[in-house]
Amino acid sequence: MFFTLDEDQRAMQTVLRDYLRANFPIRAVHEVYDNEAHDGDPVELWQAARESGWAAVMVDEQYGGLGLGLLEAALIARCWGEGCVPGSLLITLLATEALRLGASPAQKSEWLPRVAAGQAKLTLTTTGRASFVGNTVTGEATFVEYAHVADLIVVSLSDGRLCLVRPTEPTTEITTQDALDRSTRFCTVRFDHAPAECLPNDVMEELTLRGTVLKANDLAGIARGALTRTVDYVKTRQQFGKLVGSFQAIKHSLADLHVATTMAEHSSLYAAHAVEAAQGDRQFAASVAKAKCNETARDVTAAMIQFHGGIGYTWEHDAHLFFKRAKRGEYQYGNTSFHRKQITRTAIAGARHAPTVSQVGQHVSAGRG
Amino acid sequence: MDLRFSDAEELFRAEFQQWLEENIPTSWRARGFWRSLEPEHAFEMRREWETKKAVAGYAGIQWPTEYGGRGGTPGMRAIYDVEMVRYRAPITVNTLGLSFLGPTIMALGTEQQKKDVIRPLLFNEVIWCQGFSEPNAGSDLAALQLKAELDGDCYVLNGQKIWTSYAMHADKMFGLVRTSKEENRHRGITFLLIDLKKPDGTYADGIEVRPLKQMNGARDFGEVFFTDAHIPVANVVGEPGNGWQVAMFLLSFERGASALPQYQTFRRELDDIIDLARGMDRLEDPEIRDRIGRNVIELECLRLHCLHQLTENERGQNLGMNSSVTKLQWSETHQDVGELFTDVAGLHHQIAAGIDETRDLLGSFMSSRSETIWGGSSQIQRNIVAEQLLGLPK
Repeated sequence: MFFTLDEDQRAMQTVLRDYLRANFPIRAVHEVYDNEAHDGDPVELWQAARESGWAAVMVDEQYGGLGLGLLEAALIARCWGEGCVPGSLLITLLATEALRLGASPAQKSEWLPRVAAGQAKLTLTTTGRASFVGNTVTGEATFVEYAHVADLIVVSLSDGRLCLVRPTEPTTEITTQDALDRSTRFCTVRFDHAPAECLPNDVMEELTLRGTVLKANDLAGIARGALTRTVDYVKTRQQFGKLVGSFQAIKHSLADLHVATTMAEHSSLYAAHAVEAAQGDRQFAASVAKAKCNETARDVTAAMIQFHGGIGYTWEHDAHLFFKRAKRGEYQYGNTSFHRKQITRTAIAGARHAPTVSQVGQHVSAGRG
Repeated sequence: MDLRFSDAEELFRAEFQQWLEENIPTSWRARGFWRSLEPEHAFEMRREWETKKAVAGYAGIQWPTEYGGRGGTPGMRAIYDVEMVRYRAPITVNTLGLSFLGPTIMALGTEQQKKDVIRPLLFNEVIWCQGFSEPNAGSDLAALQLKAELDGDCYVLNGQKIWTSYAMHADKMFGLVRTSKEENRHRGITFLLIDLKKPDGTYADGIEVRPLKQMNGARDFGEVFFTDAHIPVANVVGEPGNGWQVAMFLLSFERGASALPQYQTFRRELDDIIDLARGMDRLEDPEIRDRIGRNVIELECLRLHCLHQLTENERGQNLGMNSSVTKLQWSETHQDVGELFTDVAGLHHQIAAGIDETRDLLGSFMSSRSETIWGGSSQIQRNIVAEQLLGLPK
């Protein structure tokens, strides 16, 4: 039984955290928030990504990637969530999965080395309507992250296929929206007979699953980051001549949130493993993780505002960064209700045959021969 | 990451499954069976079966063979826990001894105490109860007053214990007594092994046990009164006066993936509730479906948490106060499962005890109200999490 991070993964997590603490602390997130002219995609993060290979964490080594798995990608998402880190790295990382899993050898050779070298930014459309006719795409996609800086857009077509579009005027028109959470940038993208090429393999479902797992880990990171900051604050803030962290109304709430955050971390870590290792319960695991992380991130970030009092409601404070990022993540890749419905369906279908600890163990042994 | 058990562990599973298959009568596995029996009769059946299991080598899975254990791995212990529930094996009659005293003796007991305690515990020759709470010392355990005065090589005990689970069946008690009055009330407490009965089975001099009827109608716990009861000094575990440390160690002691049986049990209860909802035409109710989903999520998190704890255990990490996280997750979730049962059953839950199919669900629902109290209430667990894990001030 080994359900925890291994030494390499722990080391990677330490490197990521140390890098962000030193080079992109929460103050830097405020600067992106406050600078109206900023494109939301900090240059310094891409420099680091270039040196470390983070954007190509799952890309095969033959294309210059790190050749690691979804677990390592999930660690990046977690650390990004923990620090409310903005930028197009996470969406590039996910969109690259469409190429890694679904592209032709020629498409891979063209794009994967560029991603690995930090020379291409990618994005992915998940909502909207788009159809593919005569090697062009026409339609509209909404809530597309960082389309305004993307070199390549992976478009989800209404028929379930995926295609690649290089955004060029006038066939691709990109409008950047001013979103509540300024640790991302949302765009509306209109395609009018934009030249496109389809991916030969149908990987939409796999991509959605991976997006769900990464988002769940981002949210688990948000929850832990918000909890840690709140705990630190109530250890120093005094009222009624006492530290507010000594009051049970605060203590018990934070204890419950620690339990919930711990569970969010377990579930999102397992989901990454289950999807990567093609476990039979991968869909279920991803839904459990997303539903749990949605709720936990929402609850912890709300408590962060509440327990900081008036200062927690100010623009200058960190609390709203966490709260808004949690809100955004809650509705990406399935809201809580959506995933809970999936889980209920699975549970009802499997009642009397519910997965057990032992069956999971046996299943894996059987699957790996 | 690898959530498989080792080959040796899977082999153990297969052997144990076969033994359970052959040694648990089919009728015992029916819903509501155990609760349909007269409690004393059921207790004796469970006791006898458990001894048979120990003789077959399936007891004390993780404890050394020299003391009567199996000398197995934490993974085998986890498998044992899960399979016992899956096969609806009779539940242990020595739960406090197995869960708390055994591990404590293995870690802190003398060689003689290990020899004296473990084997008779595993073979149910001695049934143990726990003497911690007193009328004025519940959550505030350090307020305990049961007096133990030194007289030669014995302590003379005067006072009372209460909420003592298994008091009516126990041969011995492991308990906390006050051996001296100190300024710091956490000092002067001693952890003592107390004979409640004489070899002939009658109560020892100065010991009186009275049952208390619980809200579920059972008489599993009781009061124990001590009037000049003599207990040998050699029965101290640890050192005289440091019983508080021994007790804290014991209470935080969750060896192995100890909430896996809870996961397995509650997950099956949820399946039974789904079946009940189907039978009552309530499975399309969006509210019920939503609640099923919530419970599945929390139980799945519990399962993963247990597997993580098991991993940490195998890596030799001290889980310490993390057992409070585990207890909060399982006990609070179990109450939610119970509430779902009554919501699905509606007023039928009132007469559920008379129906084979629902008797266990009702019984478990009633028990769930005690689970956030015993072993440290949820409020105490939250204090522990906040102060010990998050470092918040007292």
